[in-house]
Amino acid sequence: MAEDTPVPKLNFEYWLDKAIEWGQATTLESQKDVCLHLPQLQKFLHEIYETLKHMDSIGAIQQFPLIGQLLGRLCWNPFVIGYDESQKTLMWCLCCLYSSEPQNPVELKANSWIQSLLCHLLSSSKWESNEAETSTFISTLGYTSADYYCHLVKNMVFSLVTEFRGNQFNGLNIQGRVSASRVNTVSLFCLPLITLPDLAPLLETLLHYHGGASKEILSTEFLEAVNEAFLKKKISLPETAVFSLWLRHLPSLEKATVYLLDQLVSIQLNSLEEVACVIKDSLLPQAANHPAIFRIVSEIFKNALMETDGAPEVMTILQVFTQLFLQAHQNENKPHKFSLKAYFPYHHQPLVTALLRRPFELPATHWSAHLKHISDMLKALVEDTNVSSAADLFEIWFLVVCFGEWLDIAAEQLLKAAVEPDALLWLLAFYYCPQNENQQRTQTVVEAKAVYNHLMLLFNRIVLSVKDLEAAVHSITDTERCCNQHLITHLLTNFLLFSSGGHTIAQEFIYHITETTDSSKEVCSLLIRTAYRINHNGEKNTRTVKLLNELLKKLTLKV
Amino acid sequence: MEAVLEQVEQLPALLVGARSALVRDWDSLTLDRALEWARYFQHVHDRFRTRPRLREVLGRRLRRAQPSLPLGFPHLGRCPQLLGLALLENRALPPAACRCLLRSLLQFPGEEAGPEPHSLALLARRKAASRLLALPSGLPRSPADMEPQLQAEAQLLLGRLREEGPEGEPAGESVGPPRWLSAVLEQLPLPRAFEVVAVALLGQGNGADQAGDGDGAGSSLEGNWASAIGDKCVAGPLLSWLLGNQERFYAFCLFLPGSLLASLAGHYSQLSRPYLDLLTGCGSHLLYDPLQGRWVINCPNKAVLSWEQLRERFTCLCQVSAVLKGQTQAALKLLKAQDGDFQVRGLSVWTDLLMELGTFL
Repeated sequence: MAEDTPVPKLNFEYWLDKAIEWGQATTLESQKDVCLHLPQLQKFLHEIYETLKHMDSIGAIQQFPLIGQLLGRLCWNPFVIGYDESQKTLMWCLCCLYSSEPQNPVELKANSWIQSLLCHLLSSSKWESNEAETSTFISTLGYTSADYYCHLVKNMVFSLVTEFRGNQFNGLNIQGRVSASRVNTVSLFCLPLITLPDLAPLLETLLHYHGGASKEILSTEFLEAVNEAFLKKKISLPETAVFSLWLRHLPSLEKATVYLLDQLVSIQLNSLEEVACVIKDSLLPQAANHPAIFRIVSEIFKNALMETDGAPEVMTILQVFTQLFLQAHQNENKPHKFSLKAYFPYHHQPLVTALLRRPFELPATHWSAHLKHISDMLKALVEDTNVSSAADLFEIWFLVVCFGEWLDIAAEQLLKAAVEPDALLWLLAFYYCPQNENQQRTQTVVEAKAVYNHLMLLFNRIVLSVKDLEAAVHSITDTERCCNQHLITHLLTNFLLFSSGGHTIAQEFIYHITETTDSSKEVCSLLIRTAYRINHNGEKNTRTVKLLNELLKKLTLKV
Repeated sequence: MEAVLEQVEQLPALLVGARSALVRDWDSLTLDRALEWARYFQHVHDRFRTRPRLREVLGRRLRRAQPSLPLGFPHLGRCPQLLGLALLENRALPPAACRCLLRSLLQFPGEEAGPEPHSLALLARRKAASRLLALPSGLPRSPADMEPQLQAEAQLLLGRLREEGPEGEPAGESVGPPRWLSAVLEQLPLPRAFEVVAVALLGQGNGADQAGDGDGAGSSLEGNWASAIGDKCVAGPLLSWLLGNQERFYAFCLFLPGSLLASLAGHYSQLSRPYLDLLTGCGSHLLYDPLQGRWVINCPNKAVLSWEQLRERFTCLCQVSAVLKGQTQAALKLLKAQDGDFQVRGLSVWTDLLMELGTFL
């Protein structure tokens, strides 16, 4: 909706012209135009109210001579009255104009006019006529118009739902009773009412309704508005209806994905459980069971990674998203569900298969062998001269980032298990430094290995000092280079968590590295990922858990 | 308790007053007091809602207070809304009191929300929604467009009947429909009152076969309202209103379509015999015109069914259920036998009707 188009403040003439042009919104053009302007108009009405509430009615009419005309016309426009909170603000404005001690015929007339408008909005007389029978019937029964319209709207929704469902299930009778233009109009007319809870069954039916045409049958404005309301949690919809919306309207899917990313990056998250919760809540991992949705969401994540130059938060988000997607895929009980490989059709399939194995599916003792297998495959792929284009390389790297959990395990295994380090160090070097221009990666592996060897010498020492660790880092000359800095930080953090003496200097050392290298976010991401994995594997490493919590508490206060 | 009862007796006067010219003398204080009373009645309702004995006593006292205005216990609960909207529509209310009313009805930002937050905004929104959802029909107004309105009226009628329950009318008056029911239905013009009663009795109005069992797709939605079928204390008063007056029942059967009437007869055995009698009564008014070669109405001044209408109504009856088909067939055969049991067209209307219905019998 045109929320951004600037409209001068309290521009009565603009809105009065609009209201006159719209009339009672009987043509399709005027209906579309009303829908387009509803959010703006609501804002405008609110501004009027904010001005009016400090004035008396005479002053108001003197200052805004057009106000009566404008409000009166708007009261007869069902799109305006039906929209969100516009009717409330409009009634407040009318009430401000009502004078409790009318001094002259004009004010008396205005009062009577306001009372009529309010009766028109609230009584059970018909919108277009003054048919009084229903009114007296209802009041003689001892009910009010509130009871009547509550039933009436539900009945109308039910009758439309029955009509559309019947048509949809008619199978061959696609031309049916319901024409495409009728469905389109109904969807447009529902737009102002999207957040009215009575409408929920109709929204659901419309979102599932396709009709016989290959073209989109629902109005674009409607689809956008439903998506918007869903993202802002103004309505709740069944999962299948949301999936149907995203499948038929890709801009909505894009918006939902970008919205999720913004949400995750902008709020302070203290644990991966929270991240997982927000992601799950978005319904995107579940929706990604449709390969088409999966592909588009992946593309958006790719762009986010490129734009942020591989920001650690985005990499963490991607990793959690993939895990939740795999979980949702496993939970899906459809007879014809796609095999997981179908979601990664252009990748080296043995590599995909290896990465798809969830860590908990293997005994921990097999992890390093599995990682070596992955590393060897990757190395062969990356060093293959046929796969030399930057785009190909990026695709492979992106795949590895999606399954970043294995990389975290690799860094952990290097310190915790007796492993032959070369393959795992190469794997981490690729993760942090995918490009190998000027032998960058090769150099990274060499340097990382030097630090690693030094760390291993200190691993079982109970008495440690910050100086000892600094010495390990300084054993390599060039500490400024970015990619290997990330890798070294990763190794150091794990050393602090898992070595015999690391916990004694952890606080101090982490403070030291985050101060000197501005890597608090990165360390924070590492720690919350580790905490999440330990929680989920039910590991009983109480010392590590305690340390993790302490470190995170300090760091999240800082970030 | 007696004190409460005496206070409750004031409710009808309050509501009648709010709709009358008496409000001309109200100032903002009077108005506040009236609204205060309305909230108090709501409070009384909430306190006694779960106590059937006391409910009954209160309901009886309400009815006794003003027999002309049919009120019951549930009205206590709706009192603030009933009063507020009644006053809003009353042009006699002076400006000062009216402004005071508006401020209390429209919860302003920052003001303490009442028990039903934004209920008037919701009402205005729903009214607009009913307008919007009715607009795209495209076609000229057909009877089906009226259906949701009819249903809403029928739902309110059923709601009231259920609220009244078996204690709705004091014992001894149980012959005939409760007085309030007649008073209420008189508010609607005739064909509409009949339609509302029929819809209330059947649930789904339009199709004869839809009653009772909704299709799978709709059943979850349909759950929000049940017809009178299977609910004696609801159907009873409606049926006695219909059958209690010969002329009314006759008009009812003339106005409504055959499929709907057949469906009603199928669900309510009390209706099937009178309906069949009425149809055969109409049949005996038909005369065969040998020149035109068809059955014509014998008494042009009286509203009776034509041959075509009669045939349609009998056909519908035979389609509803095996039991009704049997009854209809038996009645027609008996009449045919009384007419001499001829098998030739144009001699007895019953013979001809049976021949027309042949495919169904």
